Amino acid sequence: MDFAEFYRRSADECLRTVLLSVGDQDTARELVDEAFARAWASWRTVSRHPAPKAWVVRTALNLNVSRWRRSRREVSVPDPGTVADLSGMSGTSASFVDPQIMAAVMRLPARQRQVVALRLVLDLDTGRTAEVLGIAPGTVMAHLGRAMAALRSDLQTERQQETRS
Amino acid sequence: MNDNELATVVRDSVTGIHAATPVNQIISRGRTVRARRRIPGAAAVMAVAAGAVLAVTMLATPSHPASRPTAQLAAWTVAKQSNGDIDVTINQLRNPAGLQATLRADGLPVNVSFTGPPLTASCQPLPATKDLLANLAHFHPGDQSAILVIHPAALPDGAGISIFDRPGLQPPPQAKGLFPLSVGLVQASQQCTGS
Repeated sequence: MDFAEFYRRSADECLRTVLLSVGDQDTARELVDEAFARAWASWRTVSRHPAPKAWVVRTALNLNVSRWRRSRREVSVPDPGTVADLSGMSGTSASFVDPQIMAAVMRLPARQRQVVALRLVLDLDTGRTAEVLGIAPGTVMAHLGRAMAALRSDLQTERQQETRS
Repeated sequence: MNDNELATVVRDSVTGIHAATPVNQIISRGRTVRARRRIPGAAAVMAVAAGAVLAVTMLATPSHPASRPTAQLAAWTVAKQSNGDIDVTINQLRNPAGLQATLRADGLPVNVSFTGPPLTASCQPLPATKDLLANLAHFHPGDQSAILVIHPAALPDGAGISIFDRPGLQPPPQAKGLFPLSVGLVQASQQCTGS
């Protein structure tokens, strides 16, 4: 597979995965573009990687950490309200994100968001997710279990409130 | 809502998102990245002063099967010296959890990751000067390994040490076949460094 084909097939999934992890579309696009550029620059290595998409996402997440360190700020967890409000901005690409789900995901701790993104969007198995995040497979399963429980509870509460109103 | 339905809901929430950058633009940027790696002087030791954190980066030999000695080699070994220093010999970037547990058992507040820097919000980087990091830890390249010497006495109060590789950072062409390994300071906490 050549790089252009890999990019065509993988870019959307990688972008969605990083978006769910970082919560901001502009940031996610910048990170994923840079990660793919680095993948091109190291294509001989990346093309032989067992999961090139995971390499790209891992690189994008590392870049995000570097940005955070450069700016000497804490890892920013976007305000869920801000994310939700984006849906009202007609004509922007933000309107293509389900604001209710996105806000619920953003309320999860960072690690749980990453596990959700890698497992559900990038469709990595538990072992590969553990490798990408540098944690034990059991920890991945625990994070995913907690995240799913939190999301289910969060979304059900919102839906009940919508029904009442 | 069962797990499958919930997973579908999460997946569907972002299906409207598409990458819009043309591949030619990505490749153009990739050429710049590659060209920068070829700048002379970027090889050998890469000292990374990344914001508040890490400053020591060392290139060590890889764990390529062809380069392994015939004897069974542990991925890493830890030896505590009588003066309190801890010598870590790293032959392969494997079993970070085991290395972390071993170092913690020696009383070192540490976080070890061989899949990039720790990403959790609980691992907060701490400011550190190059001098402090040089006192705290230094690398010696070995034949088939990297030897990391840690001086726990140089660790500031409330600080822990973070050891990680940088999978997204390719070594420069001159150092082909080597992997970058870094050390830095983080805020000590139960979640991040075990104490």
